[in-house]
Amino acid sequence: MSEHTRFEELVLPHLDAAYNLARWLTRDVSDAEDVVQDAALRALKYVGSLNGGSGRAWFLTIVRHTFYDWCKRNRPAEIAHDDGTAIDMAVDPDAVDPEQALLRTATAKALTDAIAALPLAYREVLILRELEELSYKEIARIADIPIGTVMSRLARARGLLQGSALLRATN
Amino acid sequence: MNCREAESIGAAHVDGELDALRKHAIHQHLTGCSACAARHRESLALRQRIRAEIPFFVAPPALHARVRAAADAYRAAVPAAARRRVQPWRWLTGGVLAGCAATAFSWMLGTTILAARANDDFAVAAVATHVRASRGERLIEVASSDQHTVKPWLSARLDYSPPVQDLADEGFALLGGRLEYVERNAVATLVYRFGPHTIDVFVRPDMSQGPMPSPQTVRGFNVACARGPTMDWVAVSDVEPAVLAAFVQRLAREDAPGSAASGRE
Repeated sequence: MSEHTRFEELVLPHLDAAYNLARWLTRDVSDAEDVVQDAALRALKYVGSLNGGSGRAWFLTIVRHTFYDWCKRNRPAEIAHDDGTAIDMAVDPDAVDPEQALLRTATAKALTDAIAALPLAYREVLILRELEELSYKEIARIADIPIGTVMSRLARARGLLQGSALLRATN
Repeated sequence: MNCREAESIGAAHVDGELDALRKHAIHQHLTGCSACAARHRESLALRQRIRAEIPFFVAPPALHARVRAAADAYRAAVPAAARRRVQPWRWLTGGVLAGCAATAFSWMLGTTILAARANDDFAVAAVATHVRASRGERLIEVASSDQHTVKPWLSARLDYSPPVQDLADEGFALLGGRLEYVERNAVATLVYRFGPHTIDVFVRPDMSQGPMPSPQTVRGFNVACARGPTMDWVAVSDVEPAVLAAFVQRLAREDAPGSAASGRE
């Protein structure tokens, strides 16, 4: 299989998954597109090294790395200050741009905002788990952390959501 | 189990990631502890809300086009030979890129080792998986005798679509399927019942990288294999070898390109 065919068969089918992850990480439409395009080019270069295994998990790993590279260049503060202690300070409300059309109700919007406001380390495991529907094992490999850390970050992410003012106000 | 322990594995419980032993222990605790039970219900409710209300952002058509255009431009700009020469080493430039490289290399290493090893190792790993699953009650993740339920469930979790068929008429009743990791690769696993026996069938795209594992007995379980037109089939069970071999060959025969039940995505 040529590299280009491999790319079409193993990577391109997962462009939606890639965009969704990038969108939740960047919280911005055009930034997400830039990250995905950059990630796709990297995937094209290295698709020869993908020998069996899940193309989706492999591509999502590249998307995540590409995002962190991008973030270092464009929003260094987000990585540096993202210690996860202050959920209310973690996000500029203007950066949150949920697509209104997709949000049926005010409570759904509140939940979406609360997730977008989660510190990066918690947000990424939550999205990988709940929207990309990956197992702990796959998340551990993608985010390069132990499985125990995947579990504790998910617990913390959910705890933050349950305690979030955004959610309490609507319940 | 006390409340502290129950809380520490609460996330894994909600996510269905606990082994049978710990699942049993936490169930025991939740029946006796109303505070932890309430917390568990809250977590389940939150999880349900997240899945129902949170948007999965789909890539806009323009992005699809952009990526394709960029891929074509890349292909046109860099001749094939140069692409191959450049390949893995560019990862090593730059700080975070080095981290990337580590991940990519471990990934490559894992998958390359799998390809390079004799496929017999797959048989040994398959038996280990079968034993683990039988003990752990995680034998079936999607329980259905309907191939039209099992196949989409597996396809949604894999980058290929395994053919699935119920052979109850011939004595092999489809019980369901699950996703397994064998040698670090996600593999579609079909579960059949034959009389009192359970049969695990591992289905993966034709590896063509070595001989099929020979029929063998590993840790008291029989392993039989067959190669179909698009898939490799490996069956593990305590069913007698001749029956198991006939069964797996029967499955592989149906795995024909163009037939309704097969095809890679």
